[in-house]
Amino acid sequence: MSQSTVSARTYLFTLLALLALTLLTSLLALVDLGRFSFVAGVAIAAVKASLIACIFMHALYETKLIRVVMTGGVIWFLILISLTLGDYLTRGWMPFPGK
Amino acid sequence: MADPIALAVREQFHSPEQQRETSTVGMWIFLITEVMLFGGLFTAFSVYRMSHPAGFDQGSADMEFWLGAINTAVLICSSFTMAMAVHSAEVGKNGKLALFLTLTILIGLVFLAIKFTEYYLHYHDQKLPGILFHDTSPDAAYVQMFFIFYFLMTGLHALHMLIGEGILCTMLFRTFLGSFSEHYHTPIELAGLYWHFVDTVWVFLFAIFYIPGAHMK
Repeated sequence: MSQSTVSARTYLFTLLALLALTLLTSLLALVDLGRFSFVAGVAIAAVKASLIACIFMHALYETKLIRVVMTGGVIWFLILISLTLGDYLTRGWMPFPGK
Repeated sequence: MADPIALAVREQFHSPEQQRETSTVGMWIFLITEVMLFGGLFTAFSVYRMSHPAGFDQGSADMEFWLGAINTAVLICSSFTMAMAVHSAEVGKNGKLALFLTLTILIGLVFLAIKFTEYYLHYHDQKLPGILFHDTSPDAAYVQMFFIFYFLMTGLHALHMLIGEGILCTMLFRTFLGSFSEHYHTPIELAGLYWHFVDTVWVFLFAIFYIPGAHMK
């Protein structure tokens, strides 16, 4: 077990990628993208979070059991947010009298 | 001389690998409860943002955007030093482990210092919802709601940072006691998972609070 899971080089490249994405998202934020500025910000954040999880948190290198647990967590969160927003986003799509 | 690998394995486990995996699964289960805690807040924020986009954009324009962006970079750097601490522990270099843990603690403190500077600036701008809030625009009620989410979520995140600092100080202390070697460093890995998780939460906080209104200044 005296070998490292991930090399220092990989960590360094991950750091550089994360800093570059932070710069990109900050510069994009200065441009008026309308309602897409929120979407673009969250999308870049999701890419950064995946990089952190895969490399820094060793998600790519862990055993199957641990990867199933991680994926379960992500899916559970997606259920929470997609069903809630699915309700709120679709309200008012159909006109109901008296509503 | 006793075998250090055999010494580190508790009796209910077959091997060091199984023991390590058990601890890691436990940590991930805990992190998932944290995902659900912050996830509920993110969901609530999204619902209210959709209902009142103008007020929330205006609140976002009141953020100290560049302090937030710098803080994101600062926290990412601390995640890197934490990853390097785990790397040093894995190859059994305790001197480097102590160095990277210290760096992570210090960079974490820089993050908190910048965060509290921002809080002071919001106080100065009279943006403390319910206590000291001054806004004359028609959307003032929803700007105030934005700031309630902002203080609740970044405050909860800052609390996690403080707890993380405590965990890292404990790990540094245990490193000096010689508790870790290339055969046993699970606590360092788990502290790293926690630290990276807190970093991930901030990446999303930056995206939802600072970015939408940044172009409106």
